[in-house]
Amino acid sequence: MSLTGIFDIGKSGLFASQKGLSVTSHNIANVHTPGYARQEAVLAERGPVDGHPGQVGTGVEVAQIRRQVNSFVEQSLLNSRELLGRFDAARSGLLQVAGALAPSTELGIAAGLNDFFQALQDVSTNPADPTARTVLLSKATTLANRLNQTAVEMDRQRVQLDTEIRQRIVEVNALTAKISELNQQIGGAEVSGQQANDLRDQRGRLLGDLANLIDISTIEDQIGQVTVFAGRGQVLVAGAQSFRLVGVPNPGNGGLVDIRYDSGAGPVTDLTSVIDSGRLKGLLDLRDQEIPNALASLDTLTSTLVSQVNARHQAGFGLDGSTNLNFFAPAGTTARDVAVALADGRQVAASSTASGVPGNNLNALALAALQTTSLAALSGATFGGYFGALVSGVGSSAQSAERDLEAQDIVHEQLEARRAEVSGVSLDEELVNMIQQQRAFQAASKVIVTADEMLQTLLSLKR
Amino acid sequence: MRVADSQIMGLLTGNLGRTRSRMFAAQEQLSTQKRVSQPSQDPVAYGQVLEERAEQSRVRQWGRNVLFGSQRLELADRMLSQTSSVLTRIKELAVQARSDTVSPENRQAIAQEVRQLQRHVVQLANSEINGQAIFGGTRTDAAPYVLGAGDTVTYQGNTETQSIAVGEGVTIQVLIPGGEVFSGPTVNLFDDIRDLLTALEANDGPGIETGIGRMDQAVAQVTTVQGQIGGLVNRLETTQAWLDQSDTLLSQTISENEDADLARAITELRLQEVALEATQATLSRVFETSLLKFLR
Repeated sequence: MSLTGIFDIGKSGLFASQKGLSVTSHNIANVHTPGYARQEAVLAERGPVDGHPGQVGTGVEVAQIRRQVNSFVEQSLLNSRELLGRFDAARSGLLQVAGALAPSTELGIAAGLNDFFQALQDVSTNPADPTARTVLLSKATTLANRLNQTAVEMDRQRVQLDTEIRQRIVEVNALTAKISELNQQIGGAEVSGQQANDLRDQRGRLLGDLANLIDISTIEDQIGQVTVFAGRGQVLVAGAQSFRLVGVPNPGNGGLVDIRYDSGAGPVTDLTSVIDSGRLKGLLDLRDQEIPNALASLDTLTSTLVSQVNARHQAGFGLDGSTNLNFFAPAGTTARDVAVALADGRQVAASSTASGVPGNNLNALALAALQTTSLAALSGATFGGYFGALVSGVGSSAQSAERDLEAQDIVHEQLEARRAEVSGVSLDEELVNMIQQQRAFQAASKVIVTADEMLQTLLSLKR
Repeated sequence: MRVADSQIMGLLTGNLGRTRSRMFAAQEQLSTQKRVSQPSQDPVAYGQVLEERAEQSRVRQWGRNVLFGSQRLELADRMLSQTSSVLTRIKELAVQARSDTVSPENRQAIAQEVRQLQRHVVQLANSEINGQAIFGGTRTDAAPYVLGAGDTVTYQGNTETQSIAVGEGVTIQVLIPGGEVFSGPTVNLFDDIRDLLTALEANDGPGIETGIGRMDQAVAQVTTVQGQIGGLVNRLETTQAWLDQSDTLLSQTISENEDADLARAITELRLQEVALEATQATLSRVFETSLLKFLR
C-alpha cells in the first residue's frame, strides 16, 4: 500500500462524511414536510486490494441513500385517506340536509304543520268568523311555502354536490397525470440503479391525495413505477400513461353527471355505482341516495297531505255555499310545487251541510282531526310523526357520519404516528448524526494531514 | 420506539383540535342553553321533541277552544237565568191578574207589561257573541226569533248543534238551538206568552189560569237546559285543568330532552380548558428537551 493510497482512503472518508452530512441536512430541512420519508446514507467498505500479508482495505463509500418506509403502513394510510374523504363529504353534506329539513324544533315544516292544524281548529270553533278563515289560508300558504323552499334547497344542494363532483373529477385527472409523469421520472432514474427517493415521496403524497378522492389500489413494478387501479380494476395510471375520468351528464338523473372511465376509446365505462370509497363516494351517496330519499319522503308527506285534506274538504260547504272544492291545488303533489288552491277564506268548507252554514263546523272538525290520524300512506304514522321520523333518520345518518369521521381521524392519526415511527425525522437523531459526521470528517482530514506529513518526511530524505 | 418530531407535533395538534372542538360544543350549549339544537346531536331526542311540540301545540289549541266554548256556554247560561226570572215575573203578573178583584182595565195594563216582557225574552233568545247568534242552531248569521203580527214569534234557526274539539277525539257541545229551550221540546214559551196575552186582553179567567200553569212548565224547561249547560261548563273546566297539567308536563319533557344541563356543560368546559392548558404547556416544553439546546 502506497502513501498515495492512504490519501485516497482519507478522501473516501471525507466524501462519505460530506455525503452523510448532506443527507442529514436534507432530513433536517424536511423535518415537517408532509409525506417526507427519512433518508439514510448507507455506508459500506470499498473493495479491498490484495497485498501482503493479506487484503488491505481501501476506505469507505456511500453504498446507497435509503428511504425509510414501511409499505404496509403506507397502504393502510391510503385506505384511511379514502375513508376520511368519504366520511368527511358525508358528514358535511348530511348536516346541510338536516339543517334544511329542520332548522330548529320550533321552526320549519314541523311548526308549519302544527300552525296549519291549529288554524283549522280555530275555524272549527269559529266557523262563521272570516278572520279565522283568512288566518287558516295564510298558515296553509306558509306551510306550502316551507315545503317548496325545503325542496328547492335540497335540489340546490344536489346541484352543488354535482358541481363538486365535476371539480373532483378534474382533480383526479390532474393527480393521475402528475403521478404518471413522476412514474416516468422514477422509472428513468431507477432503471439505471439510482434511488429516486424524493420523487417517490412526491408520488406518495399525490397517491394519498388521490385516495382521498376515490378508492384505488396500487402495484409497483421492478423499476419503481406504480400502476393505479380504480373501481373494478380500471387502470388510472400505467407507467408513464394516465387515463381520464369524465363527467357525463345523465338525462335520466336530471342532467347530473355520471362518472365515466375513458380507456382511450371514449368515456364508455360507467363507474358511478362502482366507486366504493373516497370523497367521490360520499358525494355520490349524498347526491343520488340521501337527498333523493329525503325528498321522496317529503313528497310522500306532501301528496298525502294534499289528497287527505282535499278529499275531506270537497265533502264540505263554504260560507258562500261552494262545495266540492280543492283546498290545495290538486296538481301540486310534490313538496316542490304544493300550493293552496283556495283564494277566499269564505270557501273554506267548514260545514258538513249546505243548510248548516255558517255555524256548522263538522267538516272543519274532521279536517282538524287529520292531524292525529294514522295514515296508511304514511306507513301508519301521522303527518307530524312521519316528518319527525324523516328528520330523525337524516339526523342519525349525519350523527353516524360524524362519529365515523371522528373515529377515522383517530385511526388516521395513529397510522400517521406509526408512519412517523419509521419515516419521520427525529431532530435529536439527526443532530447526533451531524456530530458523528463532523467527527468522522475531522478524523479523515487528520489522516490526510498525517499522510501528507509522512510524504514530506519521505521527500526530505533525498536532500 | 423511535419518536419523530412530526409525531409529537401531530399528536399535540390533533389533541388541541379535539379539545377545542369539545370546548366549542360546551360553549355552544351554554350560549344556546340547548343540548340538542340540530337533529344530528341526538336524533332520537330531536324526533321526540318534534312530536312533543306538536302535542303541545294541540294541547294549547284545545285550551283556546275550551276558553271559547266556556265564553259561549256562560253567556247562554246568563241569558237563560234572565229568561227564567222574566218568566217568573210574567207568572207573578198572571197570578195577580187571576184575582177576581182585578178589573178588565187592570188586566189590560198587566197585558201591556207582559207584552214588554215578551219582547225582552225575544231579545234574550236573540243574544249574540261576536255577532253570532247563540240560540239559532248553526244558523248563526241571523236572529233566531222574529216577532210577527199578533205577538207571534217564529223560529228562524235550525236544529243543528255545534261541538268543539277539546281533546283527541273528544268534543263538547257549545251551542243549544233555540228549539230545545225556547220553542220546545215540551212547550213553546213564546206561544204560551202569546196565549196568555190573548187571555189577559180578552179578560178570559180560565185562559189566564192555563197560562200560569204553562209559565211553570216554561221555567222548568229553561231550568233543565241550564242544568245541561252547567254540566257542559263543568266538563270544560275539568278539561281545562287537565290540559293545563299536560301543557306543564310537556314543557318539562321538552326541556329534559333538549335543554342543556348547565352544571354539566360548565364542568365539561372547565375540563376541556384544563386539557387545553396542559397541551399548550406540553408544547412549550417540547423545545426545552431538544438536543438543540445543548449544541453551541
